[in-house]
Amino acid sequence: MRVPLGWLRDYVDLDLSPDALAERLTLLGFEVKGLERWGSEWRNVVVGELLTVEKHPRADRLSLTTVDVGAGEPLQIVCGATNIAPGQRVPVALPGALLPGNRAIERTEKMGVVSNGMLCSGDELRLSVDGEGILILPLGTPLGTALADLYGDWVLDVDVKPNRGDALCLVGLAREVAAATGKVARFPEILLREDGPPIGEVLAVGVEDPELCHRFVGRRVNGVRVGPSPGQVQRRLLAAGTRPVSNVVDATNYAMLELGKPTHAFDAGAVARDARGRAALVVRTARPGERLETLDHVERVLSPETLVIADENGPLAIAGVMGGAASEVGESTADVIIESAVFDPVSVRRTAFRYALRSEASLRFEKGQESRLARIGADRVAELIAAWAGGRIASGRIDTAPDEPVPARVGYRPARVDRLLGTSLGPKAQAALLARVGIATEPAPDGSGVVIAAGATPRSVAVAPGEARGAVVPTWRRDLLIEADIAEEVVRLAGYEAVVGKTPDTAMPHVRPNPLELRDALRRALVGAGLTEVVTPALVPASAAAALGWPVLAAGGVPGEAAVDGPLVTVTNPLSERHAVLRRGLVGSLLDVLALNERHGRGDVAIFEVGKGYAQAPDGAPAEWWRLAFLVTGSAGATAWNLPARQYDLDDAKGIVELVARVLALPDPAYAPHLDGAPLHPGRAARAVAPGALAGLVGELHPSVLAAWDLRAERVLVAELAISGLSAGQLVPVRVAPVGRFQPLERDLALVVPEPLAAAYLAATLRGAGGDTLRQVALFDIYRGAPLAAGEKSLAWRVVFAADERALTDEEVDADVARLVSAVASAHGARLRT
Amino acid sequence: MDLATLTSQLRALGEEALPKIAAAPDLAALAELDVAYLGRKGGALSGLMRGIGQLPADDRPRVGVAVNEVREAVEGALASARQRTAQAALAARLAAEAVDVTTPGRPIARGSLHPISETISRIAEIFGQFGFVTYEGPEVESDATNFQMLNIPPDHPARDLWDTMYVDIDGGLLRTHTSPGQIRVMHAERPPIRALLPGRCFRYEAVDASHASEFFQVEGLMVDEGTNLADLRGLLDEFAHAMFGAGRATRFRPGYYPFTEPSVAFDVGCLVCGGMGCPACGRTGWMTILGAGMVHPVVLQHGGIDPERYQGFAFGMGVERIAMLRHGIGDVRIFLDNDLRLLEQFR
Ligand SMILES: [Zn+2]
Repeated sequence: MRVPLGWLRDYVDLDLSPDALAERLTLLGFEVKGLERWGSEWRNVVVGELLTVEKHPRADRLSLTTVDVGAGEPLQIVCGATNIAPGQRVPVALPGALLPGNRAIERTEKMGVVSNGMLCSGDELRLSVDGEGILILPLGTPLGTALADLYGDWVLDVDVKPNRGDALCLVGLAREVAAATGKVARFPEILLREDGPPIGEVLAVGVEDPELCHRFVGRRVNGVRVGPSPGQVQRRLLAAGTRPVSNVVDATNYAMLELGKPTHAFDAGAVARDARGRAALVVRTARPGERLETLDHVERVLSPETLVIADENGPLAIAGVMGGAASEVGESTADVIIESAVFDPVSVRRTAFRYALRSEASLRFEKGQESRLARIGADRVAELIAAWAGGRIASGRIDTAPDEPVPARVGYRPARVDRLLGTSLGPKAQAALLARVGIATEPAPDGSGVVIAAGATPRSVAVAPGEARGAVVPTWRRDLLIEADIAEEVVRLAGYEAVVGKTPDTAMPHVRPNPLELRDALRRALVGAGLTEVVTPALVPASAAAALGWPVLAAGGVPGEAAVDGPLVTVTNPLSERHAVLRRGLVGSLLDVLALNERHGRGDVAIFEVGKGYAQAPDGAPAEWWRLAFLVTGSAGATAWNLPARQYDLDDAKGIVELVARVLALPDPAYAPHLDGAPLHPGRAARAVAPGALAGLVGELHPSVLAAWDLRAERVLVAELAISGLSAGQLVPVRVAPVGRFQPLERDLALVVPEPLAAAYLAATLRGAGGDTLRQVALFDIYRGAPLAAGEKSLAWRVVFAADERALTDEEVDADVARLVSAVASAHGARLRT
Repeated sequence: MDLATLTSQLRALGEEALPKIAAAPDLAALAELDVAYLGRKGGALSGLMRGIGQLPADDRPRVGVAVNEVREAVEGALASARQRTAQAALAARLAAEAVDVTTPGRPIARGSLHPISETISRIAEIFGQFGFVTYEGPEVESDATNFQMLNIPPDHPARDLWDTMYVDIDGGLLRTHTSPGQIRVMHAERPPIRALLPGRCFRYEAVDASHASEFFQVEGLMVDEGTNLADLRGLLDEFAHAMFGAGRATRFRPGYYPFTEPSVAFDVGCLVCGGMGCPACGRTGWMTILGAGMVHPVVLQHGGIDPERYQGFAFGMGVERIAMLRHGIGDVRIFLDNDLRLLEQFR
């Protein structure tokens, strides 16, 4: 809320500098987010007196004036306005002046006559909304005074929290300033001259639904003259960020900013009369099919939940949200009806959202209004209208619920307040602090409990005699309901420096496994392997999720994974189409990162992400699971003068998959050619599986994907891995196998096989035939070419045999090798290369 | 052959061999000289020794002594010449092997952790020293868990603090904060509770230099009998000092959250100006790093904890905010952009 200090002074004395006041308010819970010198925009604008006003010799529509600005020779200034006359005091923008909107004023020539500056309208200075005539200043205004000194003001931008609707106004903030500075807040004194007819003869109000309209206070002012508000009122409204409209409308806005009470003024002439000739209003919900053209000139079809102010012909206004165009106060309005009501906060909030019409008024209704304000608001607005627009105030008010509630009692235990705060203020100091915001304290009646929780789950506890006190809460403080609220009020007023920090010294919780352990271990390992971690948005375009067509695999035994191919989770109110669904996989996001970095001229990219996939489970519940994905392209590792470039290839990608398995102490993943429709190179993609622990695809992206993402890279290797334990698994301690005392025996076997045979199958046959002394089967060379036939390849394996308890003999190992050779010969047609 | 002749021949041999050995240029030449003088077959000394047998028996021991003297002299000369030559050869090899030591080394590729996960780790490490245990909750929550359990009923005006994205699951929404985790932890654990909940959050918020629609938070929760605001202040001071330096000024000021009562905002002295006031801190000298407060009794009740017996505090901080202050980052958008020119600075 924008708070002009010149206006705030009406309600409390201020002897602090604006900076100091801002800090006090901030420390009291009313954060000052900005401190602005209003009027700092008027540079080189001073008060002048018109000495002469004559016709411009060459232009009928212009006047030639001489102006005394209090110093030096009178200035000759050309002016286009018609409301000026000698003797008036006016704002003069001197050459070199800068007006709002960065409008620079210079000495100019207008139709052959030199103009030494400009006379300003209120609109040009943003001092009023009058853009037609020159702003005429009061007669006694001192000549030569800078306008910034005359009308400038400090304006605080105060962040009023949603629970403090009572302070969303100048009077409310004045109360807080008073609490902070020890001054006394002044409520505006309302003096009404009720010289009109009795209200009962000119206004009738019916409330059909008191649940939605707790109180309606109506007043009427007859015979007003609608026109501009006084200059000071316009200046105050503008400084507070509200555009002046007319004296009647400004009166309602002025009272809202002053008291926090939104009111509405109807043109009484547009309200139907009842049989007794009274303007008759009714507060009710809208009937099916009813329509209303609101003040913004939008015709709205009203839903049946909408609370309206109506007459017998239909709705006139949406209660608490916006008035109707037909009953709007305008220049022809003679009689005005003032509505000052308390509407149900939830109803107003819902209605404002329904019509996308959240206003300063609806914001205040939503936060709840104290009943008293209905009466005070009606009186204040009637007073201001009569003062600014004339007219006679009808005597008395229509009031549908004149009984005003008494202050509530909130019980609290001073010892508990100190226990919660970690302070030792004691009952007396607490009471003194509360008194600063008008909260009186008294002994709580014996037998009364203390309310420690309210709302949906209320809870009251019994207390020992004398243990509790009662806080008498002013009616405007709707936020103080339970003991903890009183504690907050105490510490807020004491200042949080009263809370002296100490390191917690109570019992420690039990040790629990760290759910990030596995992911952190993987992150660190991959960073060590030269990959950079990325974190990308979880929300992606719906089209991208479909376009990539990456099959989502499951590792097995992972929470949420059953849903991996369930329907996408779609945002129903997305910020943009680019962030519309929750992704099921990470590869598309990595492609986006590659594309961005390629645009920056970067071809070598090695990145990974540990992130979530999301989908809907078959029962419609949301499911989330963790994934690891990486992408490598361009030069593998670093390149330098002493390290020639090498391009990433599929073997690098598989090496990364194996590193991941090793970090997690998983079995080595087995690879199988991938034949399903993944967006991968059909000959360079593998399914990697470590049963029950890891599953995923690793491969080179299909050129069509590169084209779809507009990527320049020729070869991009990607993988996405489902890993059990990624969500909250723990690293398993290594189980050490004893190092054998006996020397293992090694043999090398070069096996010639047909080209299509995958190495993994050959290895599996070797392992299967090896017996229990076979310790290792490792591929160490692949050879193609003479003397092998075309369509053949030689895979060279090192096989290692060992036994724990004895030395193996060459003879038995030779026998084992012979068994291996015959096994692969019969299984795969392999022969030993000689 | 008589004794005198043999003796003089031995002396001559020594006088001939020693300068030759001293002048030998390399190990090969020394090996030749070794064979030539000391070789068992055909060596000069062996040749002379064959003459010993012709001497009278009385002379033989004396000649034997003389032979040994010459042999030792030659052998000694050869050994020292070998050592000298080896040293020279080594020096020559090392000289030949010299490289330009001023060139840069062979780089070892290393990636970098993303500042978000790095910052979360740092936060968890600091609070871990105070016994805070890490938990996680889901990102797709419901109105009940994201709002109602946290004392934010439907149509409550405080809902304006969280612009929310909803999903096509009945009652489902993307969590706007990590606070729903408070309830989950309270249901899973009995006091004493010290919990930390990092994770991704979502808001319906237009993206600019200081706002993101996806961002990360870390929530903290401590519940025990007697846990109070002073504990919260003390703990957060420790955190601020660990994260931003031991001398960093801190302050509490009132805040507002429906799920804490009292609520506070926690400020640290401006990291740019140190408290003098500058544009970065809105000329206040302070920067807000997190919101916190004593857990509202209604929230404790929703967590199944008796608010009459137990008290607790909760805090929530924006990971990006902490990272921005810590690393001098001016624009929140860099975190999800993943421009490698920026990320790789975290190596
Ligand atoms: Zn600063």
